[in-house]
Amino acid sequence: MPAILHLLPYLVAAWLLLCGLYGIVTSRHLVHAVVCLAILQSSTYVLLLGIGFRLGGSAPIFADISTSKLVVDPVVQALMLTDVVVEAVVVALLLAMVVKAHEKSGSVSPNDLRTMRG
Amino acid sequence: MKSFANPPISPALVVAVPLLGAALLAAARKILNRVAIDALALLISLATLCLCSTLLAGSIHHGASVYWLGGWWPRGSMALGIGMVIEPIGAGLAVLASLLTFLALLFSWRFIDDGSKHLQPLMLIFLAAMCGFSLTGDLFNIFVFFELMSIAAFALCGLKTTEPAPLQGSFNFAITNSVAGFMILTGIALVYAVTGALNMAQIGLSLGSRHDPLVLFAWTLIACGFMTKAAIVPFHLWLPDAHAVAPTPVCVLFSGLMVELGLYAVARIHYAIFDQTTAAHPTAFHNILFAFAAATVLIGGVMCYAEHHLKRMLAFSTVCHSGLMLAALASGGPLGLAAMLTYLLAHAFVKSALFFISGVLLHNRRSITERELFASGRQMPHAKLLGSLWIFGAVGLAAAPPLALLLGEAGAEKAADLHNLHGVAFVFIFGGALTAGAVLRVGMHTFFGWGDGTLSDRAADIGELPETKPENRRIRAYHIIPPALCILLAIALFAVPGWLHTLRNAAAAMANQPAYLHTTYTGQNVPLTQPSWLHELPGAAVRGGAALLLGLLLALSSVFRNRLPRPLRTGAFLEHGFRPLRIIQSGHPGDYVFWLVVGVSLFGGASMIFLR
Repeated sequence: MPAILHLLPYLVAAWLLLCGLYGIVTSRHLVHAVVCLAILQSSTYVLLLGIGFRLGGSAPIFADISTSKLVVDPVVQALMLTDVVVEAVVVALLLAMVVKAHEKSGSVSPNDLRTMRG
Repeated sequence: MKSFANPPISPALVVAVPLLGAALLAAARKILNRVAIDALALLISLATLCLCSTLLAGSIHHGASVYWLGGWWPRGSMALGIGMVIEPIGAGLAVLASLLTFLALLFSWRFIDDGSKHLQPLMLIFLAAMCGFSLTGDLFNIFVFFELMSIAAFALCGLKTTEPAPLQGSFNFAITNSVAGFMILTGIALVYAVTGALNMAQIGLSLGSRHDPLVLFAWTLIACGFMTKAAIVPFHLWLPDAHAVAPTPVCVLFSGLMVELGLYAVARIHYAIFDQTTAAHPTAFHNILFAFAAATVLIGGVMCYAEHHLKRMLAFSTVCHSGLMLAALASGGPLGLAAMLTYLLAHAFVKSALFFISGVLLHNRRSITERELFASGRQMPHAKLLGSLWIFGAVGLAAAPPLALLLGEAGAEKAADLHNLHGVAFVFIFGGALTAGAVLRVGMHTFFGWGDGTLSDRAADIGELPETKPENRRIRAYHIIPPALCILLAIALFAVPGWLHTLRNAAAAMANQPAYLHTTYTGQNVPLTQPSWLHELPGAAVRGGAALLLGLLLALSSVFRNRLPRPLRTGAFLEHGFRPLRIIQSGHPGDYVFWLVVGVSLFGGASMIFLR
């Protein structure tokens, strides 16, 4: 397999990271900022799965395969699942705040939310 | 197989008890009335305090021990399970967390009358996360507790949804700290890719002295992620917004411990994992950390003096003191670490007391801005007691006797001397003078009514709605006891410095990678000692006194600005603040993340160039 394919998951992870960061920095809409945060987090999913991937490895369930068979790393998959739970909570909480902010100020722009600065 | 020294009780309990308690309270909050919820929450935090104290006592008397969850002991050098390392420093932080939570819950007795009863369960979740964070020996576990702590903190910060400002503060807090969390996770993933391990001791073992770009990149991401929690410049921008709007008992936990736990994590991870990585260029490593620390002290101190919203001012003072703690850590070696932890402990009590008193002002005088509070503190009950506690707080921030911050300052100076790092004493005097000056200025205006009127700024003029019902403005015993106890503890720690011996030796063990490895794998204590620095106290007391005097002069030149000739109005000049610094504090989450990226690039670039 060409080297570029081994690198691909890492390149995708870096690309998602940059996209997410760019999106948050330039965001003019609170929901947009939250979604960009979710994109930023998907970069960690890709990175974790990329790290655990073994070429030709099968799923790490040893019920019906021999224990000497090559499998992908189950630890990073567990980490990724934890990560998914974390993201679900953070995004839910942030979206709830956006709803509250919209109720209070009728706006979803971070510029209108700014009461306190300086 | 089982050669491990067992801790006196299962350390999993200190996480499980508050977590289950929080679930219980959340489930029962519709049935139980407010008093029952408050009493239950106090009881649970007290139980956690007892459990943590048992662990601490066990780790002091019988040495450090390790607890492997589910009995998954390591096989050879391979740590399969999740280990909790019970040593005096982690256990001590857990005790501090439960003590502060207990005091904060006591202070919030019948406080924040929106009737939703969300505060108590969230505080307990926050406590569970802080306890787990300080005790765990597993890198991924640290991330999980970091996120649990963050999520509870976001919710606590935005609790007062009746105002727009808490939403802004909480949103910015959540965005920046989540980005920091993902940076930490990316760093952990890279470390796992290199070593195939998640236990900190095992990672340290297999990483050895590797310092290639990948390892340095992972170190950068992890360090910057935790420094975002620790509010180090330029990652600090979320902190004032969050502190200014969070309910007072929550501010106590934020400033007293949560921010400092970020620094604890940087220290813990550096010494357990990356110690040999940076050992090739120790001077460069200390200089990088010290540069960030000095910038933090400078910006935190200057902004602290320029704020007129009490909580926001104290928040910037926390930024400044977080920088001072990083400076102590950057002074290097076990001595620097011991100094940082001493400072952390004393600062937690002093800053908590100041936040409690500003909470009392908000409760009784119905305002939190310096302009509206002018001369109004004199009219409230217990004004003399509260005023003197406030002044004691200022003395503490300047690291002057008789408060225990002085002990930390002396240690940092001694460590810097040993490592030929210059300017640490100057940084401490600068930060101490500005923050003590700001607190003294507010004290003179509020409790003494000196001078003629105060300046103000935009953030202060937003103000804050009171947290209690207007018809109930009485100051009760539970408003006075927490701040008084905090100040008394800070004085007692100074007056009876016998505990310093334990902390010093525990820090020596924490800063020694082989000792940490040995403890994790065998569960046995490694007795290490380091010399006392108490003979440095007279010099430190002089420096602390000088900082206090400078702060006092600054505050006087602010308060009596109209009677001074123009060139002497230093205080008023500083009070106006510096426009670029105020512009950076823009209140826009995008800007904050931009500065975060800048900070990571600077830290990472410096690490790549100087630590290769």
